[in-house]
Amino acid sequence: MNEPKKLHSRGVLDWFDPRGRQVGGWGFIINRISAIGLTIYLYLHLVMLGKLAQGPEAFDAFIATAKQPLILFGELLVIIAGLYHGLNGIRIALTSFGVAVRYQRALLIAVVLLTAAGSLFFAIRMLSIH
Amino acid sequence: MSDEKWTVTFIVFRKKDEQPVRYDTFTLEVSPNEYVLDAVERIWAFHDRSLVFAHACHHSTCGACGMRVNGVERLTCITPIREVTRNGGTVRVEPLRNFPVVSDLAVDMSRLYQAMDVVHAQAVHPLDAAPLEGDGIRPPRQVPQPEEEGEFLRLADCIECGLCVSACPVAGTDPAYLGPAALAGAQLQSIARNPDLLSVVDCAEGVWRCHSAYECTAVCPSNVQPGWRIMDLRRQVVAQRIKALLGQR
Amino acid sequence: MQNAPLSAPKPGEGALLWTLKIFSGVLILLILILHFLVNHYWAPNGLLSHAEVVAYYQNYPIVPFMEGFFLIFVVVHSLLGVRSIALDLRPAPRVLRGLDVLLLAIGLIASGYGIWLLIRVTGWGG
Repeated sequence: MNEPKKLHSRGVLDWFDPRGRQVGGWGFIINRISAIGLTIYLYLHLVMLGKLAQGPEAFDAFIATAKQPLILFGELLVIIAGLYHGLNGIRIALTSFGVAVRYQRALLIAVVLLTAAGSLFFAIRMLSIH
Repeated sequence: MSDEKWTVTFIVFRKKDEQPVRYDTFTLEVSPNEYVLDAVERIWAFHDRSLVFAHACHHSTCGACGMRVNGVERLTCITPIREVTRNGGTVRVEPLRNFPVVSDLAVDMSRLYQAMDVVHAQAVHPLDAAPLEGDGIRPPRQVPQPEEEGEFLRLADCIECGLCVSACPVAGTDPAYLGPAALAGAQLQSIARNPDLLSVVDCAEGVWRCHSAYECTAVCPSNVQPGWRIMDLRRQVVAQRIKALLGQR
Repeated sequence: MQNAPLSAPKPGEGALLWTLKIFSGVLILLILILHFLVNHYWAPNGLLSHAEVVAYYQNYPIVPFMEGFFLIFVVVHSLLGVRSIALDLRPAPRVLRGLDVLLLAIGLIASGYGIWLLIRVTGWGG
């Protein structure tokens, strides 16, 4: 009788499903996905940097492999995620302290535009270097 | 009053006891100026008397008829059919999320009422704490003061419809989260006036569960602006904690 | 009518942890800009060989210091974020305690490992 009744919810799926969500909800979804992606990248990156301790051959061989298009594409994703998460972080920090809450939608649009511009800049730069 | 008629197909969520969810389809001739609740009532009256749904006042005061219309939380008594579909179109009607379904479109909103009780949500607030009609989310700059001692009070805007809890992305995975309406109810009292609230909202099930999706504010039919109020409550919590740290309690 | 008394406090997350997350986030952003400029813009060839990394770190000792602090802030922010996501799933108190120990261990190991790596690369360890 006292057993808690099951909520009408799809649980974790509802964190990520953009259907029926408004601008702020999309902001949350991308923030969470980028957070998970960046966290995985951070610890992979740390493990990979261990090659530095294994001496020049190991590190230089690793850098040579890292120039594959697929890995470069992955790096670009990291840059996009980092840009979005950082810029949206500023938005959340501001609104969390009661600053510009009224303009959170406009701020989010600015975050997306700046992320797109920054991503384009880095994509062109990566293509021109490699 | 126009005589315009639309043919609209309503796809309605059905669930009884432990039976699996199914969707029933009803095609109705409606006026586009009618409200979604009118159509739901007509389905019950003329097509299926076993359809269960909650409603009372028909004018956005009781907060009973919240449902998801085409995936978005709406107070169905003030949602014109014209706003959610077109002639020949469909309208998907589902119960609110993040509450247990009692039957079909009716949900058990106990978690909301209990959370309102936990924060001692008030039915009236000082005039300067709640926004006036159409005055946006900021408290009004100039609050009239009574000539004698005391302050003017006004009725709280929140009609406890539960749309905000349904729209919150986190409320579905954390049943103990106080939720937007209750946190807004706490903010309206202010922690400075009611210090006991600090420990109630400064915890995992309180203000820190909010991740600023602002879905609550987007769906609130009553200008409560819970998103803004949660952010303001956070500011209050941090300010109180810093004051306590500096020994200025 | 009198309401029921306010419920007992339920900690698990609080103003301190949240403030730490926000401030580490802001510091990450500041150092990230420096990190990008220093490692991929000012550094000759973008530090793509072992010799360059070693020489660069040895010539500019402020850089490994900056990287060390960057690592600590990123680790703190990421683990607090993971904890916050876990709390969204309302873990049982026992599970949360276990998670706290695990996250603390990961944070200490990652920070220690990163600092050890910096010391190895700069050759400060002798």
